[in-house]
Amino acid sequence: MPQSLRQTPQQQQRVHEEGRASRARLFKEYKEVQREKSADPDIQLICDDSNIFKWTALIKGPSETPYEGGVFQLAFAIPEQYPLLPPQVRFLTKIFHPNVHFKTGEICLDILKNAWSPAWTLQSVCRAIIALMAHPEADSPLNCDSGNLLRSGDIRGYQSMARMYTRLAAISKKS
Amino acid sequence: MGYSDAASPASAAAARETRKEKRGNRTAAKLKQSKLETRRGQWLSQVQGKDAKDAKIAAAPTGAGSNAGSPILASPHPPLPRRRADARSRGSDPEDREEAGAAGLEVGSSDLDSPINSPCSNNSQGDGCPLRKGCSGNDGGPSLSSGSSVWSSSRSVSDAEEDDTGCPEDDSEVLDDWEAVADALSVDDSHCHQSPDPVMPPAPQANATPDNVARPEPIRSKTRAWAPDDIFRPQSLPSISKQASFPASIGNCWAGMGITAGQQGILSLPLSCPICYEDLDPTDSSFLPCPCGFHLCLFCHKRILEADGRCPGCRKQYNNVSAAGGGGGNAAATAVGIGREMANVVSLRLSRSCSMGPRY
Repeated sequence: MPQSLRQTPQQQQRVHEEGRASRARLFKEYKEVQREKSADPDIQLICDDSNIFKWTALIKGPSETPYEGGVFQLAFAIPEQYPLLPPQVRFLTKIFHPNVHFKTGEICLDILKNAWSPAWTLQSVCRAIIALMAHPEADSPLNCDSGNLLRSGDIRGYQSMARMYTRLAAISKKS
Repeated sequence: MGYSDAASPASAAAARETRKEKRGNRTAAKLKQSKLETRRGQWLSQVQGKDAKDAKIAAAPTGAGSNAGSPILASPHPPLPRRRADARSRGSDPEDREEAGAAGLEVGSSDLDSPINSPCSNNSQGDGCPLRKGCSGNDGGPSLSSGSSVWSSSRSVSDAEEDDTGCPEDDSEVLDDWEAVADALSVDDSHCHQSPDPVMPPAPQANATPDNVARPEPIRSKTRAWAPDDIFRPQSLPSISKQASFPASIGNCWAGMGITAGQQGILSLPLSCPICYEDLDPTDSSFLPCPCGFHLCLFCHKRILEADGRCPGCRKQYNNVSAAGGGGGNAAATAVGIGREMANVVSLRLSRSCSMGPRY
């Protein structure tokens, strides 16, 4: 009985500590982002004005891919245990990619799941996503159409579809 | 308003300073005072809202109590309660204090210290009220103070402190006591820095005594060696303190200084934990839980052990890595590492990682 009484505040405190730790870390990352704004021209990380656990990122489609020229918006939802648990990232911009769910924008990327390391940062997650765009993994598809095109060797079909959706969704419509 | 109020004890302290002309480190004192002022200001802004409420709640019953007790005191004098409290508080009888308290409460949120000082001060007055009422029921006005003065004398010191912060004009004579006590206790004049301090805890005499005795030593060493401490950069500290305070305080902070100095000079370690981005302290930076050389602080390591227990650098299990496994093994390893470093300050990263590897 006393033990349970004693444990509860401890757990509460741990949760509290974790929240504080993640907050502190996110704040430091935010400062880092502010400081090195021009460090990576392909990535723009923006923290929500009122909630440091919500971020959005704008990433440029890598060159020599069907996503070239597009600007894709990512939404980060960061858990309270953040450095220990990965952030939840999804595409807000429509993208035709085998590892991105076409409707929800969910991303199938190992470092966002089991291969996450607390040493990763939001910035490095963005870089990993850019790398994923350049190197689609057709064997674990979230977008089956895209995956099937790639797996059947129809590179051209995949590229034209992806380019079309990039033009439709990720490139601002000005002539 | 708040700032002027906050400044007045400081100016009083300054006056005292000029009176006693044995200040070695006046600049330090001023610095500390200014810090205190800012802290007070912050605190004021925090508590202001709550204050007003407290004042409203507490003012009514207190006023009623003093009404019942002594009609002279009862009439609320919004403009000049301070002076009256000032004039009468020599005897430090509870009546006056009560009135002073009531005055403070009447002034309400403008008076930053007496309600702020601590909930304790309010509580004590609250506790006091029924007692005095009982007394006044027995025999009324003047004798009540003498009757309960014995009771008050036991806590006179802490009360003096409260009064001191509560009524800045007041503090010269109350503080004479305080200073006398402090002078008797410690030769060092650093109590002057502390005198505006009672904001912190309403320290009873028992606490104040060891404080005064103990303080001067660290303070002196601090003003000399830990001046950069204000910048909150313990990492950059050792280079200075190594020369200044290493010989002086060998017994005290030898371990910390030695290790940090050695690491600062020889090893180029990451300054902050890559997980939480907090600064690594000496123990952390000599903590290598994984042969891949990934540095992290002990807190994050513990949290990772509680979670999946894999090294963030190489993604291998910590337990496999340090075969002895667990926190105990790692702690021992750290201890060994520290021992090494203390033995030969010119330790290398290589040697430490070697000591970790084969040993465990």
